[in-house]
Amino acid sequence: MNILFNNILAINPIQNLNERINLHIIDGVINNCSSDSVITHQDTQIIDASDFVAAPGFFDMHVHFREPGYEYKEDIHTGCLAAANGGFTGVLVMPNTMPAIDNAPVIGYIQGKAKDNLVDVHVSGALSQNRDGKAMSPMLELADCGALMFTDDGSCVSNSELMRRIFRYASSKDLLISQHCEDHGITHGFAMNESPVSDILGLKGYPALAEELILYRDIILAADAGNRRYHASHLSTKGTIEIIRDAKRKGLRVTCEVTPHHFSLNDNLLTSYDTNLKMNPPLRRQVDIDAIIEAIIDGTVDCIASDHAPHSIHEKEVEFDNAPYGIIGLETEIGVTSSILLSNKSISLNRFIELLSINPRKLLGLPDIFIKNDNIANLTIFSPNEEWVVDKRKFKSKSTNSPYIGKTLKGKPKFAINNKKIFESTL
Amino acid sequence: MDKVTLSKPYLLDSSDLTKEDLYKIFHRADFFMQNFKVGNKFDDLKGFIVALAFFEDSTRTKLSFELAAKSLSAEIFSFQAKSSSLSKGESILDTFKTIEAMGVNIYVVRHGSSGIPLFLQNNTDGSVINAGDGKHEHPTQGLLDAFTIIRKLGRIEGMKICIVGDILHSRVARSNIQILNTLGAEVALCAPGTLLPFYPKEWNVKIIDNLDDAIEWAEVVMALRLQRERMESGLLPTMREFSNYYGINIEHFRRKPDLVLMHPGPVNYGLELDYLVNEYSNVMIQTQVTHGVFVRMALLSLIGKTMNKEKNAFANLFDM
Repeated sequence: MNILFNNILAINPIQNLNERINLHIIDGVINNCSSDSVITHQDTQIIDASDFVAAPGFFDMHVHFREPGYEYKEDIHTGCLAAANGGFTGVLVMPNTMPAIDNAPVIGYIQGKAKDNLVDVHVSGALSQNRDGKAMSPMLELADCGALMFTDDGSCVSNSELMRRIFRYASSKDLLISQHCEDHGITHGFAMNESPVSDILGLKGYPALAEELILYRDIILAADAGNRRYHASHLSTKGTIEIIRDAKRKGLRVTCEVTPHHFSLNDNLLTSYDTNLKMNPPLRRQVDIDAIIEAIIDGTVDCIASDHAPHSIHEKEVEFDNAPYGIIGLETEIGVTSSILLSNKSISLNRFIELLSINPRKLLGLPDIFIKNDNIANLTIFSPNEEWVVDKRKFKSKSTNSPYIGKTLKGKPKFAINNKKIFESTL
Repeated sequence: MDKVTLSKPYLLDSSDLTKEDLYKIFHRADFFMQNFKVGNKFDDLKGFIVALAFFEDSTRTKLSFELAAKSLSAEIFSFQAKSSSLSKGESILDTFKTIEAMGVNIYVVRHGSSGIPLFLQNNTDGSVINAGDGKHEHPTQGLLDAFTIIRKLGRIEGMKICIVGDILHSRVARSNIQILNTLGAEVALCAPGTLLPFYPKEWNVKIIDNLDDAIEWAEVVMALRLQRERMESGLLPTMREFSNYYGINIEHFRRKPDLVLMHPGPVNYGLELDYLVNEYSNVMIQTQVTHGVFVRMALLSLIGKTMNKEKNAFANLFDM
């Protein structure tokens, strides 16, 4: 299929591109990316794109596609549809599947399911076998099979000696080690952030310090093992942001991501006991949100990721204590991030694209994307000023566990283009 | 001001009740107390079906609501199910929808998880009354405690009331603190550090570290039931230590015989209370139980009237 975006604002920080062009794509290959007018064939879809931005394809480095094992929540096919619908051309799936991604055959299975998709599906491998925090996974082999990062996400490696060994073992390939920072001894059975709100609601709290303790420990261990590469997942507190800022200042190879829900929703909302507000880490205080936004602006935060965590309705429509943690996020990620950060000009479009495309790709060692003639297009087209109401019927995800349903967002994904395929968002 | 309706046609937590609401309930409870005769029913809830939906074990609260609803001529049915209905593959919402299909108007709900009354209220046109949800609230206990203090001491505003024991896990404490604050009492908490809330400053209460000081300060002491699982989960070292440092005993009464003591029951004698304290007439435990019935009658009666009023308001809308 051929498509022409007339007068689109093309931005790519790594090639210093920021100009209005007529972007013509023929059979998935960029045919024109200059301001020259384009003569098209009959079968070309022509779009007046003066309100749109073309950026290198967005990449979400923290998603749960639930396959193999929990296909009733999501599978690789629907997960990819949700990603493309949300404007993403690449994702990194987390290893908490059943079985876990702790062995080569599971990676092969996922790669087989994801073949020929618009969305590039990359995998992360488990840090420990079966993600049970007892013995290291075969990380060298997993890396050779394509695992770009290692994490027990959903759980934290509690044992400090195991974590120390993981960092030392990772040195031969300089693997990227990631952690879901949570001191389980403190947080066991939590339902929300520990705060004046949890006191009043009578819900078990997860204090910020339980995230901070593990992050601090890991940074000490990573440094001690020879300044290993370490990526902190979905940070949610002011304290962890400060620890990252400090570590970066000291020259440690430490990076972090934050999720849109952790910089857009605070724990006062929990008074509704809405289980779509139950996640791990939990929604925190406004001071935490302010600290995260400041860190996004000043560069402490490397990237934004959704932690897309589908759960079916029957699992969420239960007692708050019994509801599983997590919300879907791929299809609202551009909208929420743009509403909070772009619409008030807290960050530039350049920075927005770094957070959602350039930085996660760089972190994972994926090749740079260039918007230039004869390249296979890997692009996200979005409309930064368009307002829209989140409608769950328009989601492509198999699940609808989102706290943003019914909310008005500013900034909307329009197209995802990759692997010679084009997807027009239905949102 | 309307004498017979409340600001909301349900009771999910104590913040649903204004000061005016509280006094209307107490006034009505007084009326029932004066006029109650066994075998002589009031017709306040005639035509209502009240479901006692107890998803957690309860004896006194369930009996109290049952007697209250019966005395007001309601049709009632009750059931008691083990907390997690998920285990038998039926969700709480399924169970609730089943009860609703039988035409229930008022649901008295007890559940082991915080927030269930709100969850159910969001899914029904009827009215939910919280009879205790997890560690969140038990508003009718708060009501009957406040009513007991007023009847015993003549007033509540400015009274010094100290709650002793496992505040952190107590729905009774949360409801009492909210209601006592609304009524203008001075509230203090006395508990070991691991059983205090994490942000007590937000609760408009004073913390008294030592039980002797607490009893000296207070005009009313409310002891709470201590769950033995607090020892098992390591929040307390031993029962002996708790009882030595936070148990109320006969010595406290010898020093302050006019101390008013309350407890929501059932009491762990030898742990939070010494059995001997029952010799003192200011120990209100049985009175609280008696008052519970009248307060719940008053609440049910007023909620029924508030529901009718709202229904009529809608009817008028359609007439126009």
